[in-house]
Amino acid sequence: MALIKPLSENYDEYRRDESRAQGDAETISFPTSEDEVRALLRELHASHTPVTAQGARTGLAAGAVPTGGHVMNLSRMNAYLGLRRSSDGRFFLRAQPGVVLSELRKHLRARALPARDWDSESLAAAQELAQAPEQIFPTDPTETSACLGGMAACNASGARSYAYGPMRPHVSGLRVALANGDMVALRRGELGAHGRTLELATESGRLITLDLPTYVMPQTKNASGYFVEDNMDAIDLFIGSDGTLGVITELELELMPAPAVTWGVSCFFTTEAAAVAFTQAARPALGLATAFEYFDAAALNILRTQRENSTAFSALPAIDPKAACCIFVELAGASEAELLAELCRLGELLEQTGGSEKATWVARTDVDREAQRFFRHAVPESVNMLIDERRRTDPIITKLGSDMSVPDDRLADVMELYRSSLAEAGLESAAWGHIGNNHLHVNVLPRNAQDYARGKELFESWAARVTAMGGAVSAEHGVGKLKRSFLAVMYGEDHVREMARVKLALDPYGQLGRGNLFDPAYLEGGA
Amino acid sequence: MHVVVCIKAVPGSTEVKMDPETHTIVRDGREAVINPFDASALELALELADARRAAGEDCSVTVVSMGIPATERILRDACARGATDALLLSDRAFAGADTLATCHALACGIRALPAADLILCGKMAVDGDTAQIGPELAGAFDLPCVTDVSELVGTGDESIVVRCGSDEGPVAVEAPLPCVLTVAKEAAQLRMPSIAGVRAAEDAPVAVRGAEDVGADPARIGLSGSPTQVVHCFVPDRSGAVRLFDGSAEEQAAALAGIIEEVRS
Repeated sequence: MALIKPLSENYDEYRRDESRAQGDAETISFPTSEDEVRALLRELHASHTPVTAQGARTGLAAGAVPTGGHVMNLSRMNAYLGLRRSSDGRFFLRAQPGVVLSELRKHLRARALPARDWDSESLAAAQELAQAPEQIFPTDPTETSACLGGMAACNASGARSYAYGPMRPHVSGLRVALANGDMVALRRGELGAHGRTLELATESGRLITLDLPTYVMPQTKNASGYFVEDNMDAIDLFIGSDGTLGVITELELELMPAPAVTWGVSCFFTTEAAAVAFTQAARPALGLATAFEYFDAAALNILRTQRENSTAFSALPAIDPKAACCIFVELAGASEAELLAELCRLGELLEQTGGSEKATWVARTDVDREAQRFFRHAVPESVNMLIDERRRTDPIITKLGSDMSVPDDRLADVMELYRSSLAEAGLESAAWGHIGNNHLHVNVLPRNAQDYARGKELFESWAARVTAMGGAVSAEHGVGKLKRSFLAVMYGEDHVREMARVKLALDPYGQLGRGNLFDPAYLEGGA
Repeated sequence: MHVVVCIKAVPGSTEVKMDPETHTIVRDGREAVINPFDASALELALELADARRAAGEDCSVTVVSMGIPATERILRDACARGATDALLLSDRAFAGADTLATCHALACGIRALPAADLILCGKMAVDGDTAQIGPELAGAFDLPCVTDVSELVGTGDESIVVRCGSDEGPVAVEAPLPCVLTVAKEAAQLRMPSIAGVRAAEDAPVAVRGAEDVGADPARIGLSGSPTQVVHCFVPDRSGAVRLFDGSAEEQAAALAGIIEEVRS
């Protein structure tokens, strides 16, 4: 088949993703249509060849890193397929999985979507979009070069998930190609499970009965394993399934009006305890907050060093030497007056919890918002550079970042767990992330192979402790290949077997996303 | 010490709207931002004030702008960032001013303030690109002027030392106080306001004065006081096309030469 090419040196980059993990495969394809995806899958199914679906390869859990077989890269499936407007005025956009988030945002800001080959209903809706208040797709992962299919596959989140939740509720429709090329069309609200049994009909008329796993998901931000609950919507099983159940060939996304006014507030604290106290007080009090993002002392120190030593980071705003940590709060509302009142409430909370109104940066202009964005994104970028530098001396060193969440009332406990165990292990680290969701990315910065091994052990121990707190081992990056041992800790072996049975009912030879979620041993012998 | 910083509200977008009738830039104030060069000038003033206050001296920073009433928002924002006072010169009589008429209005406004030890302007405005206001103000007050200042090296009671651009490259210049400086963008990055600053700025008095209030000469302000005559103003046509050449290298070169001739004529 002409679409299938040998994965030669020219395609070396497709062996990796942003997790820095390295895999291998024999062949690669770049389909541009659903028909091509189906044809590829049919051919590969016949030989039971493993298939790893890829998008923009921005994932951090190695979900797109191949383990043999075939790489199906969907980045060239990047067309906008249509738009509809519901009777209550909401817009729903259909797009292929390779559409990149930053491009989607650009088109939405311009209120003009590429409408090539759209039908008359879509063109009419596009005209209405041009006249309507600006629309957004609210899911906001830091990496805006992510593509929509990959974001749905790992149920991406990001800073604004504090207000808008993860990607899941904003996906209203999916078309999914199963391992044999058969199609499943899913629209939110149209097909539900009966208790924990789901009967799924494919477009060819095949009926598949799924016995859904019996575990109870934690009541926290969660991207660990399959989404299951009683009477669940069928579409939710596929969102966040890490490319293990099917290949997403089309998504329908629900858009929402952009807030009229958005301000960012960076709040600096002299102790981590004050930052935690502020978070706990601010969450119930600030109704217009859309994000709470944390940066610890090490993260701030990395930025201070970068600002001093690197011209690329010299535009970073100067950080007060007394600042030991920072929480970025985003406020969004209908008017400046409304946000001013909320800003004053925020200031009062700071004064009450050990912060200070004076130790803040308020961004109300584009220039200031850009400075804050640069500050926030410079942290992970700088850590990546640091790890790459260390990797040159010892190739085994790679990024070790946690992605765990706990319930609201365990925030202080999990912070204490991180601090005490990192100190005990003598590991260098930097932590940042979504403190509003009790979800920090603690990054161990290994200096050598011993540190790397100790860091991995530490994360294993955190998986057990976080699970005991009622938390999730992966809150937004997905389990992929890197966190599957954590998934077994979180749900136990019996529940992982239940997940594997669901997979095998849809993908009897375990071809898709091999190595994601489960050890391949769970799939041995097939359905 | 009293530092005066002149600020201009400029369009916040590079997509400037032109009035098809008057051929002037539409300034409705909705998308206006502080001119980026003026932002750097304000930051230099605030850093100077911080240093003076740390040394136990009084230092005030007044921001001054000539503009439509909506410009008050930008002056209030400057107060949130640390300016102590603000003066908005707003009057229909100021409308249509070129740089000379603007300079007269600003000079009258500055004379109405406590005596300035230092007047800072941005090197130029991103909408007009004239770079004339600073030197014109120096002329109006008969003060020395240093342009294209990239760094404040130090200040004393009698003089100020700055680094600035020159035909020979960057040079250090000592100027006696009072003087006028025009500031390059790279000189400083304007600080963000704090919540405390935003709160205080909400109640800060922004003085709004008209032409009569500051004793401006009606013959030297607005359109009638502007010697600059805009004869024609238009949005350039940026249409482009791609042509592919066939044939031998010589034939393609000849075709290219033909296009160059076509464009030149």
